[in-house]
Amino acid sequence: MRTIRPLALAAAGALALTACGGGGESVDTGGGGGGDNVLTAAVAAQPDQFDPHVTSAYPSFQVLENVYDTLVVPNAEDLTMEPSLATDWEVSDDGLTWTFNLREDVTFHDGSEFDAADVVYSYNRIIDEELNNAYRFSTVESVEAVDPQTVEITVSQPTPNLPALIGAFKGMSILPEGAAEEYDLTTEAVGTGPFTLESSDASSTELAAYEDYWGGAPSIDGVEFRYITEPAAALTALENGEVQWTDNIPPQQIESLAGDDAVELATTPSVDYWYMSMNYAREPFGNPLVRQAIATAIDRGAVTEAARFGAAQPNQTAIPEDSFYYYDYAPFEPSVEEATALLQQAGVQTPITMGLMVTDEFPETVTAAQVIASQLEPIGIDVDVQTVDFATWLDRQAQGDFDAFLLGWLGNIDPFDYYHAQHITGGSSNYQGYSNPEVDRLLNEAATETDEDARKELYDQAAKLIVDDVSYLYLYNPDVVQAWVPGLEGYQIRADKAINFEDVTLP
Amino acid sequence: MTTYLLRRIGQSAVVLAGVSVIVFSLVHLVPGDPVRLALGTRFSQETYDALRERSGLDQPLVEQFFGWLGRALTGDLGVSFRSGETVTSVIAERLPATLTLAFASILVALAIAIPLGTISALRPGSIIDRIATVISQFGISVPDFWMGIVLILVFAGTLGWLPSGGFVPLSEDPGAWLQRLVMPALVTGVVSGSVITRFVRSSMLEALGSDHVRTAQAKGLPTRQVFTWHVLRNALLPLVTVTGVQLAYLLSGVVVVEIVFSWPGLGQLALQAVEARDYPVLQGAILLFAVVFLVINLVVDLLYTAIDPRIRR
Repeated sequence: MRTIRPLALAAAGALALTACGGGGESVDTGGGGGGDNVLTAAVAAQPDQFDPHVTSAYPSFQVLENVYDTLVVPNAEDLTMEPSLATDWEVSDDGLTWTFNLREDVTFHDGSEFDAADVVYSYNRIIDEELNNAYRFSTVESVEAVDPQTVEITVSQPTPNLPALIGAFKGMSILPEGAAEEYDLTTEAVGTGPFTLESSDASSTELAAYEDYWGGAPSIDGVEFRYITEPAAALTALENGEVQWTDNIPPQQIESLAGDDAVELATTPSVDYWYMSMNYAREPFGNPLVRQAIATAIDRGAVTEAARFGAAQPNQTAIPEDSFYYYDYAPFEPSVEEATALLQQAGVQTPITMGLMVTDEFPETVTAAQVIASQLEPIGIDVDVQTVDFATWLDRQAQGDFDAFLLGWLGNIDPFDYYHAQHITGGSSNYQGYSNPEVDRLLNEAATETDEDARKELYDQAAKLIVDDVSYLYLYNPDVVQAWVPGLEGYQIRADKAINFEDVTLP
Repeated sequence: MTTYLLRRIGQSAVVLAGVSVIVFSLVHLVPGDPVRLALGTRFSQETYDALRERSGLDQPLVEQFFGWLGRALTGDLGVSFRSGETVTSVIAERLPATLTLAFASILVALAIAIPLGTISALRPGSIIDRIATVISQFGISVPDFWMGIVLILVFAGTLGWLPSGGFVPLSEDPGAWLQRLVMPALVTGVVSGSVITRFVRSSMLEALGSDHVRTAQAKGLPTRQVFTWHVLRNALLPLVTVTGVQLAYLLSGVVVVEIVFSWPGLGQLALQAVEARDYPVLQGAILLFAVVFLVINLVVDLLYTAIDPRIRR
């Protein structure tokens, strides 16, 4: 019977946050043995299923992150791609042939050897069955095994973000050849990662350390993901020692926890961003002066405070500061006078009415819209906040039936994800109807530029125009907020919300 | 008795048929295209069509309904959109937790309601009656999620006596099972108990004031005998009904309390199904709730006839 320990106060003194210490290879493979060396993590929800190519639910990826591997993975510091199952890769001069050299001596959890055939099988499964992530292979012509240790991917046009497309998250995991026929992938997992999936029910999911993991066996014996939906309960469980890690923290308590010695709290701006967008086909919002007036009237800090209790980083561009592609640009200073002047300059007769479409699927859009409404009132814009269900919202967005809307883009890694389809003329996500030939030129050039620094330069220039024109009115990057018990080492919070427990040691 | 039973079962079947139509329509009248929501924002037309076809949503509604009903009658409630597992197995997995909490809560509720209600009825208007009224008023009006969180903060946080939530099967570890059951059963028990207390009090008062009790007292029968034989029997009738209704409600899952205490019951499942637009699971769960209500109603009616022969006609 597990006894309930009273609140263990950290006698270990103040431990430095590990938020900037590297993970590195774990060398301590001793392992205490028994159930004491299992990390219990409180997560907010139950995974829907475990097929990495099918699921799109974050609770599933929290588990799969520790079970499966991809060819390349985002680096924890700046999210650029680094080796994982592929040790290195090169691209031909014409940018059409990518060659990935695979790691040797890697085994799947069922004992089978990992080789090029598994990569071909996994990618073709996504492409042929048109699974969720098939769009990531839109330029891919073929995936072929040159020899057991080499995979060649041929693309129809230069695709410099290919590593980001195949490495961004565990939706691009490598399964053993024939896995879909051999296993029930919705309930079983066969990866190459540091932990094996042992069991999962309506209360928790349990992982066990994989001794033959190519990166060295984890130092803990396993991980138990316990679902605790109510944040106050999750925090209590962390404080009384039932769990050692959680990402489900009551947002209004983040500030008070920062000074609490009983828990280690870490926050970092995430790769998600929330934005407002206006319909260019609806006057007067097609007028850039009007959009700039609105961008000048909005106080992002106040929006962030209300929508996220301050647990977010106001940002006037899309990409968070942790990313290699972050571009420090913030031209709008909140000012009622300046915003009013811009509206006059545009020749707009105030008051005008602006419908602002939000959805209760994402309650923070509703809160943010109410704040924005109060900020636009002084400059003579009456905001009509329209809260609809998400399906209606998506339909109206697709039909262009809106003056303005609020939403977010989640889980982006590469600047292509951040800017391309949303702002290029006729782009598949360009619902606002933005069209700027210069932006088109920059985005198209960036999409085929293979030099990283040159690529960043092109995206910076594009971002500047997108912000100045207010194609999107960027608001903030929400924070990733996680907490763990003092003395837990080897864990690093990441902007992409990937949670890796392979190097963790318990206090 | 047999004809009465058959008639009641017949009635229940008709109601169930009606309920299944309503359940099916409800789920399909909810705005929004489930396929579209399941796929998110980035998908091709081919992917969309494939999923619609796979889930049978491309067929006419009438065909969908009769297909679903026919399969449901054979115990096949379809497959969850979310996990790909059968709906019956998803529901079955949740039954132990739901049954545990429902019966524990009823026990707590009756343990509160019968003594409190009886004392109130015996001394109407007294201090003790007023205190009982305040307590039951409190139980009815305090939000259960608030009560739950306060219990967690006090007993799992400050005092550290109990785990903050979760569920461990009785067969696995009786001690852990009991520790985790205490708080959720207390919250739901207090809420149900408050409702039942009022019924106990009013039916007791009615029974105490009835003619035959006065007659019995006038005949000089001992109070104890009068009370157990005449008062309790009459007061029990409404109690059976209200307890039955409360039990049916508890068996269909107590969503808020299950969420607060991470209790893997049917309420939590229903909420997850709503959030994920998991139609098959939602339909199966609502159908099950309807069956539970009908069965409990039937049992309550049969108990009635056993207690009070006048009802048999």
